[in-house]
Amino acid sequence: MTVTLALPSKGRLREKAMQLLIDAGYEIQEPADKRSYRATVTGEKDLEVAFLSASEIARELALGNVDAGITGEDLVRENVPDSEAKLEMAVKLGFGGADVVVAVPEAWYDVATMADLGEVAASFRARYGRRLRIATKYFELTQKHFSERHGIQLYRIIESFGATEGAPATGQADIIVDITSSGETLRANHLKVLDDGVILKSQACLFMRSNEDDQTIARLRAALTKLVRF
Amino acid sequence: MKQFGSFSARASIEDLLVTRGAKLAVVDVLQPAEPFLDTAGDELRRRIFMARGVDGRNVCLRPEFTIPVCLAHLKNGTHPARHAYVGEVFRQGRSEGMEFLQAGIEDIGDADRNAADARIIRDAFETLDALGAAKPLKVTLGDQSVFDAVLRALELPAGWRVRLADAFGDADAMAAQLAALAAPALVPEMPSHIADATDNMDMLTAEIETSMEAAGLPQSGGRTASDIANRLISKLKEARATAAPERVAQLEAFLAINVPLVEAVGALEGFADAANVDLNAAINAFGKRIDALQGEGLDPANIEYAASFGRALDYYTGLVFEVVDKDRAVLVGGGRYDRLLEMLGAEKPVPGVGFSIWLDRIAGGAT
Repeated sequence: MTVTLALPSKGRLREKAMQLLIDAGYEIQEPADKRSYRATVTGEKDLEVAFLSASEIARELALGNVDAGITGEDLVRENVPDSEAKLEMAVKLGFGGADVVVAVPEAWYDVATMADLGEVAASFRARYGRRLRIATKYFELTQKHFSERHGIQLYRIIESFGATEGAPATGQADIIVDITSSGETLRANHLKVLDDGVILKSQACLFMRSNEDDQTIARLRAALTKLVRF
Repeated sequence: MKQFGSFSARASIEDLLVTRGAKLAVVDVLQPAEPFLDTAGDELRRRIFMARGVDGRNVCLRPEFTIPVCLAHLKNGTHPARHAYVGEVFRQGRSEGMEFLQAGIEDIGDADRNAADARIIRDAFETLDALGAAKPLKVTLGDQSVFDAVLRALELPAGWRVRLADAFGDADAMAAQLAALAAPALVPEMPSHIADATDNMDMLTAEIETSMEAAGLPQSGGRTASDIANRLISKLKEARATAAPERVAQLEAFLAINVPLVEAVGALEGFADAANVDLNAAINAFGKRIDALQGEGLDPANIEYAASFGRALDYYTGLVFEVVDKDRAVLVGGGRYDRLLEMLGAEKPVPGVGFSIWLDRIAGGAT
């Protein structure tokens, strides 16, 4: 049976994933037409590679349209409801590392923890006539972190799909939930991460559907595991 | 289970509510989502059915009636007024299903709060009775204003009062806050130019203003430098103040009060004595509501008072109540929401109290 492995279609994630597969002995035959989104692997008749955008990989895995995929954990946790049960994080690949964090203006010297933020959020409406606003593209992760983990209910999410770190300065939002690797962008925008504001330490991983028992995928998993361990 | 779903059944429930002096409200199934998200917070987004209209605005299937009824009241209502409704509400992520039939009354604008509270509990109880809900039914009553009075009387720091009041009604959040209260407060890390200014409010405010300007933060519409300075100073005070383990024990003792309503005043007085605090005003007000309930012919012996019972929504300000059947299914939820109408655009505070019956949960009811 042919199985499909989804890889990120562009950027550093694609390069790193491709390199890793080559190192693991998987020689990907890139299509003659560079614009094509399908590829094959030498000697792996039953394995097909599909290039998809990183966030679509999460979704297609959940829908069962692809059998395994390499993508960021943040995208899986955000886009796949109940992802812990539906998908298995088979191999952490050691690249694409970044944290999803809660960041507030540096000038909020009185706010260091989620508890502080909860206190500010609780009286926000009474003071300023509106709820505390959070700019983010991570709706699910934000809601889980704020509501389930820290019991904070009183906030509004402002959808932000780019330049999120600028939202406090433009007045769109008070704080942000965003992904950061070095923290440099946050610092440049005078934002700081709360002490307990790391929602997820994300990296690129090989994901597969839970209970996946296909031999081709099992071999791929073993090869990548071996490679990452050393 | 859908024994109340037919047109005739709904019509007869409407009649029941109208005979209790309420006017039938017309509430659309499709509602703008903004008022719900804005009042209840974004957490609600997970639990409602929302879609984006082509004009970019979010609409949702009616998740409850109180907010639309209040909005309609503000548009054309005169106070006081009693509004009744029967219809479906839609919620996600519940094991029972996604579509529920509700009926209820919202009593808006009556300044005699005790009378309105007592009347609405009686309305709920007698409507359930008329619908044939299997007895025995148990009424549980809570009151956030008593908890607020306890927080003030215990002279807890302002920040702690905000956090505890916010956690009220959510047992897990409350336990977490009490645990944090028992632990020593930490002094937040801050740059030296800020730390050096913390004994001078004006200097501190100026320093924070400079930081905000450097970050290009807007000067209005959000947190101001003086708010940040104020909270920072009170936080430092809290951190310096010795942790008070007896305060945690006292809060726990209060929250554990769970007695028949006839014994509630005695239990609250006993708590005040033991904690050596003055709760007279709150206890008197509480006693007056019990009198009002008796005035409505309700027997306080059938009602329980649970000091920890509340709703984790900040527009519920005082009374909350629920009616459960012998299997502990919640048939009715109700409460006073004196802050809600202002949040929805009223120019000054408007009192409101209401209840909602979960009709699908009434087992063995009239068909």
